[in-house]
Amino acid sequence: MAAVSARQHHAFRILMGRHMPRAIRVAQRIVRDSGEADDIGQEAFLRVWSHAASFDPDIARFTTWLYRIVLNLAFDRTKRRPHAPIDEAVDVRSDDPEPVERVIADEERRILEQAMAGLSERQRGAIALFHMEGLSGEDSAQAMNLSAKAFESLLGRARAALKENVQKIQDTGRCA
Amino acid sequence: MTLEQFRQLAETWGGDIDRWPAATQDAAREMATGEQAERILGEQLRLDRLFSLAPKMDEGRTGRAGFAVLQRMADADRKLPWFRRGLRLSSLLPATSLVCSALVGLWLAGALPYRHHPPDALSVVSMVFDSSILSIGGLQ
Repeated sequence: MAAVSARQHHAFRILMGRHMPRAIRVAQRIVRDSGEADDIGQEAFLRVWSHAASFDPDIARFTTWLYRIVLNLAFDRTKRRPHAPIDEAVDVRSDDPEPVERVIADEERRILEQAMAGLSERQRGAIALFHMEGLSGEDSAQAMNLSAKAFESLLGRARAALKENVQKIQDTGRCA
Repeated sequence: MTLEQFRQLAETWGGDIDRWPAATQDAAREMATGEQAERILGEQLRLDRLFSLAPKMDEGRTGRAGFAVLQRMADADRKLPWFRRGLRLSSLLPATSLVCSALVGLWLAGALPYRHHPPDALSVVSMVFDSSILSIGGLQ
């Protein structure tokens, strides 16, 4: 990151290659649209480049700083959007037989994506950071700019709502 | 810790006690040996596994996004006004070396002694003679 602050393009390319996937993943979990998630990932790294000098490793880790940028961009987009997309883009299925594990994983992913749609964007952010990215409660709270107690409460509500939505989808095939 | 507190913590933080707040972990581990607590953790672990699934991303997607970032950076550079572009280090390098060369030249001109040979008599005569050839109505 010090090399990026010194405006070294090569270092920036390495940093981007290493962290772009997580930026896009988190953005997609929140905005639920792959095109918009890609835009957010790009915008986040443009900000990393232009604000690299303001990054202080004594205050936060780079990933925490990046997640905060991504979350802010994603929350801004969902606020500006008049309505949420109905569903995420679904991959076109081929006719080739697929391994059973992959079919099950795809089905679980579909259920999760549908269930996540019923959550607020902040709840989706909490689930993405704590479960999908595997951050600790403390790091997730820092990335979301929340106190530890507030994050605990947000995560608890998010998990409860998600569990309920998953249950409904499994029972009826759709989320209420 | 009561079983109800244990359940609430598990429902908030999931089935992995290592990820719970540090202050609660020891008591939770003691509690986790019971049958009911084990069932609670098992149920939450199943949810954890589901909640941790990441969206599907094809292999080239992040590479394309990274390439787009570099393109946007290059575009932004092109749109900068000339005086801002001129202030960057890469642009200042040739100008700085030219200024440095000029300064070294000036310093050498001031520091080295000025050596001038006074014209001898022959060259003065030759100059006058030659110039009179070229003039109209000269001696020859």
